[in-house]
Amino acid sequence: MTFLLRLLRLCADSLSIPLLAPVKHRALVRMLVQREIASRTSGTALGRLWPLLQPALQILGFWFLFAVVYDMRNVRGPGFAQYMLLSMLPWLCFSEVLVRATGLFREFSPLFTRSRFPLEVLPTMALVMPMLVYTPVLVLTAMWLLGLVAALKAVVVIPLLLVWTLPLVLLCAVAGLFVRDFGQALPFVLTLLMYLTPILYFPDMLPAGMRIWLWLNPMSDWMLLIHAWLNGGVLPLESVARLLALWLLLLVPCWLWFRRTELHVRELL
Amino acid sequence: MVDSGFGNKVISLIGVGKSYRSYTRDIDRALEILTGKVRHYQYDALQPLSLQVAKGEVIGVVGKNGAGKSTLLKLLAGTLQPSSGQLEINGRVSAILELGASFHPEMTGHDNVYLTCAIQGLSRQETAAAYEAIVNFAGIGEFMQRPVKTYSSGMVMRLAFAIATHVDPDILIIDEALSVGDGVFARRSFDRIMEFRQAGKTIFFCSHSLYQVEALCDRVLWLDGGRVRAEGAPAKVITAYGDFLQQESAIVQPPLVTATAEAASTATTVATPVAAQAVPRVMAVKVRVDGTEARVHAVQSGKSRIEVEVRFLSVAALPVPSVGLVILGGDGRYVASMGTVNDGIALRAGADLTGSVMVTLPDFPLLKGCYVIEVYLLCEQGLHIYERVRQVAELNVEQRGLELGIVTLPHQWQVL
Repeated sequence: MTFLLRLLRLCADSLSIPLLAPVKHRALVRMLVQREIASRTSGTALGRLWPLLQPALQILGFWFLFAVVYDMRNVRGPGFAQYMLLSMLPWLCFSEVLVRATGLFREFSPLFTRSRFPLEVLPTMALVMPMLVYTPVLVLTAMWLLGLVAALKAVVVIPLLLVWTLPLVLLCAVAGLFVRDFGQALPFVLTLLMYLTPILYFPDMLPAGMRIWLWLNPMSDWMLLIHAWLNGGVLPLESVARLLALWLLLLVPCWLWFRRTELHVRELL
Repeated sequence: MVDSGFGNKVISLIGVGKSYRSYTRDIDRALEILTGKVRHYQYDALQPLSLQVAKGEVIGVVGKNGAGKSTLLKLLAGTLQPSSGQLEINGRVSAILELGASFHPEMTGHDNVYLTCAIQGLSRQETAAAYEAIVNFAGIGEFMQRPVKTYSSGMVMRLAFAIATHVDPDILIIDEALSVGDGVFARRSFDRIMEFRQAGKTIFFCSHSLYQVEALCDRVLWLDGGRVRAEGAPAKVITAYGDFLQQESAIVQPPLVTATAEAASTATTVATPVAAQAVPRVMAVKVRVDGTEARVHAVQSGKSRIEVEVRFLSVAALPVPSVGLVILGGDGRYVASMGTVNDGIALRAGADLTGSVMVTLPDFPLLKGCYVIEVYLLCEQGLHIYERVRQVAELNVEQRGLELGIVTLPHQWQVL
């Protein structure tokens, strides 16, 4: 009974502490975002525009390549270029968050080793800046490609994706701290995962024998979900259920691992 | 466990200890966290310690380097977590440990105030309410919209100190220095800490300056090798610690070591330009032995008369300072000290703000050996040091008799 109560409390903490941290520490999160913007844009002529321009220019580059050079605008129905661009932005956001998470503890160590800094804010810091950057870019891209309704729907895509990414952020933050090779290998793993996710191709273009990867790869569910949502299609409930189950399954152990690390990081860094 | 006897406790440590873990490989740390199986070697920085601190208490912490003082302060400041025991703190803690550590060089002073206050747990409204006071105290109003990377190190320290002491802490943790910066700001920062004391805030003060610890603290904790060696009334603990240092043949710091400014070490006369005057300064020190003024003196034990005359320049905005004098042995240990505050002497300054005081040591009682004199100009309370003048005179004491020790005590023989 005690074990069950402890487990329930752990589950409640795992859900509430990291998710409510941005609300509880909103003044701190706000200043840390300003700090990050200052770090990234100080001395540049375009200043605060740069974080937004970077993914926007990247998307324009992809559009130029696939829509103009390869002329793939009208491949299969809604158009491949449109599909690819609306898939690529969430993926870029997802991969940027995970790569950054591997260095999260080291990045903020000057703060938490010298002051009373709440460590539960760190996962938020991996998520909040990409959310502020990629949400408007995705909204503008959806507006450009699909119209106003899709643009309004796009507002929730990146925040939901990032909340779902939280357990992976916790995992990558701890793994990146203790196993340096993890941070080096992750970009390569993410590139492989991108090729196994229907971003640069429609899901049905994958050879039949390899479609098991679509089922095994949760990012495929995300792609299905995003396109169904933005295009006004029927939401694939199986994907929703699978993503939710995976999230709940990962969040508790990942949060527990992160909390256990707290004692170590203040000594290690 | 030590109970202060005060009703309202703000700090409670019950068996709080800190051990640092050492791992052969980084991966072992991750595996230990995952599996719970111990894969480390550990050494204890702080043995389990129990302590209750009441609101308004000033606790001094003394001990040699490596005794566990910094570990204890970091545990209290929340930058370390205890390995064992229960640590409870009721109230907001502000630590003067690594001033400016949370500043970001690319952000303006204004934004760094908000960032540091946010880390301390203040809301934007609370920070906004304290902002003017912080800026006024730091005295760098015109720089607040510039990046901190353009500040001098002194400006960074002033701003950081102003923040640390304006976030309305209930508990203030001070590592070593009772004041920061120099000149006028050093005095202001010292006054600020004294205001905390008078306001009944709890203060943890860790220092090698035994004089200041004894003068300020209600209770002193002596740590040695991560353990509490003694705890109790300042006079008792400081005396025991001083004896310990002598037994250890450690180099004992002179009682007043946190000088904010030092005069030339070889001259007995110190001139200070009046235009640069911001805090009281020593203008001249003269040491006469049997009427002869020099820097190096031959002194007859029990016979010579020594006069030390100190001329100082006061500042209109501040109370007239006090003067202290220390006699050090050849090994750096302090042999004797005297101060105007301790002896109840109030100094005066004239219309030109200058003043003088002379202390006379008749029939110099120290036995043969080499001694040096140092002079201190201090605040009116005899705590904050404006200026320290080292080695104003060297005394080479000779004696005729065969007495042993360092001093001849007044005595009488009676044949019965």
